[in-house]
Amino acid sequence: MPMLDEKVMQEVTKALANMKNPVTLMLFTQPFECGYCKDTHTLLSELIAANKLLKLEVKQFDGDEEAVKSMGIDKIPAIAVLGDKDYGIRFYGIPAGYEFSSLLSAILMVSTGITKLTPETKTFLSNLSKPVHLQVFVTPTCPYCPGAVILAHQLAFVSPHVVADMVEITEFPHLAQKYSVQGVPRTTINEKWFVEGAAPEAMLIAKLKEAL
Amino acid sequence: MLDFNISLSDNVDATQLFDLIIIGGGPAGLTAGLYAARYKLKTLMIEKAAVPGGQLIATQWVENYPGFPEPVLGQTLAQDMEKQARFFGLEIVRENVISTTLTGEVKEVTTEHNTWKTKTIIICTGSSPRLLDIEGEAEYAGNGVSYCATCDGPFYPDKVVAVVGGGNSAFEEALFIAKYARQIYLIHRSDKYTADSILQERVKAEPKIMLIPNTTVETIDFATEPRSLKIKKADSREPEKLEVDGIFIFVGSIPNTSLFEGQIELLNGYIKSYADNATSLEGVWAAGDVQAKTLRQVATAVGDGANAAHAVNKYLIHKG
Repeated sequence: MPMLDEKVMQEVTKALANMKNPVTLMLFTQPFECGYCKDTHTLLSELIAANKLLKLEVKQFDGDEEAVKSMGIDKIPAIAVLGDKDYGIRFYGIPAGYEFSSLLSAILMVSTGITKLTPETKTFLSNLSKPVHLQVFVTPTCPYCPGAVILAHQLAFVSPHVVADMVEITEFPHLAQKYSVQGVPRTTINEKWFVEGAAPEAMLIAKLKEAL
Repeated sequence: MLDFNISLSDNVDATQLFDLIIIGGGPAGLTAGLYAARYKLKTLMIEKAAVPGGQLIATQWVENYPGFPEPVLGQTLAQDMEKQARFFGLEIVRENVISTTLTGEVKEVTTEHNTWKTKTIIICTGSSPRLLDIEGEAEYAGNGVSYCATCDGPFYPDKVVAVVGGGNSAFEEALFIAKYARQIYLIHRSDKYTADSILQERVKAEPKIMLIPNTTVETIDFATEPRSLKIKKADSREPEKLEVDGIFIFVGSIPNTSLFEGQIELLNGYIKSYADNATSLEGVWAAGDVQAKTLRQVATAVGDGANAAHAVNKYLIHKG
């Protein structure tokens, strides 16, 4: 039985019908695949059938050192959503549940170039010169999480200095410990600063300014 | 079993004039959207969250919505309501409304991204969880202080948790958290609970939940380990310390009406509604939790939404 059933595939095909440019989903996994690595691999293999512009490229976490290093991949399963270049859009852990919408949003954004950011945010991003690493901690059943993930990914798409990760925290419990995540979504900025909840755009930008 | 939610913002032309704009995508708004789409009204829903459903998506199980003899997941119900409305053509954009002009033939709804124009509006902005407004609450929101059990319950495996409140939400969510936590203190300021009798019976039968009536939470002291609360019993002068790993707060809700203050008639902060869910303004209706009414449930919200959409359709036909 497929992971994405016929009905879901129909919806996905409809949702991705507006794709314009090719998008590569680069999956980082390992030969003996961890539980969620295998599921993520299956998910992406099925997903790419929804549109000819979608491509899956599989990299080995232990073998493809160059890609792992240049993309800063530090855990698996990992997905980088690539267009004509690497925009710094990452998914760590399986994008299932509500995060499936975050993945589709990222694909559409990279493919069409359409973002929904205020002029103030765009100005801030165009003046940004320091590296920013956003990690949005989520669970698949958290309905408020895609809002935070989609916003972070948009910032990464617009600014070459921003890398934005979705991190499915139940797959990486040591990170829940490290970043004391007791609620989701929780966003870290450059490891040190935290934003709780699905913060509105202006609030996240204000926090970014404070952090830099 | 993995499931996959597909909920994306539609790309909608912002220059057109809509028959109807629905602000808010909870059960009331989604039902209004379903009806309006079937009336073939040119309808737009504006929802600020990435996922429609309003407070329904923060609820674990719904077991008092007719037609579901087995409890249905709030998230599933919301997703299905959205799918059904979309099937009939409802378009939804994810934008945050910052101001509205509710009077005149052409009304305006301004978001961070667009100014949308419409002949009529149904306000379905619902309500938000009320805060306890005590020391430590804001500082530890998302880091020990929570308002959503389905979101954050799983972070407390084998932990000790306080749940504050005496209504349906507090009781339902305490039962949900009991799947994870080792001990739950259900703290309420009185000994009279408004939760449905069936929930009260279940809570009493759950050995992990201990009721602490006639008690208020004074401060949340999470800065030092072990984390604790200061609680005060009604009959004692001195507050006492209660060690917990986290606190969930369900002490009612406040209406999301700040956008409309001074523009529309309110009653205790909620929108005053008249027959057929009309408001004090021509061309503006209200549906769901945002209305001044006594029972705020999914079952009443959907009725409001259907009523309001029907009234809008009649109004537009009459106007020609």
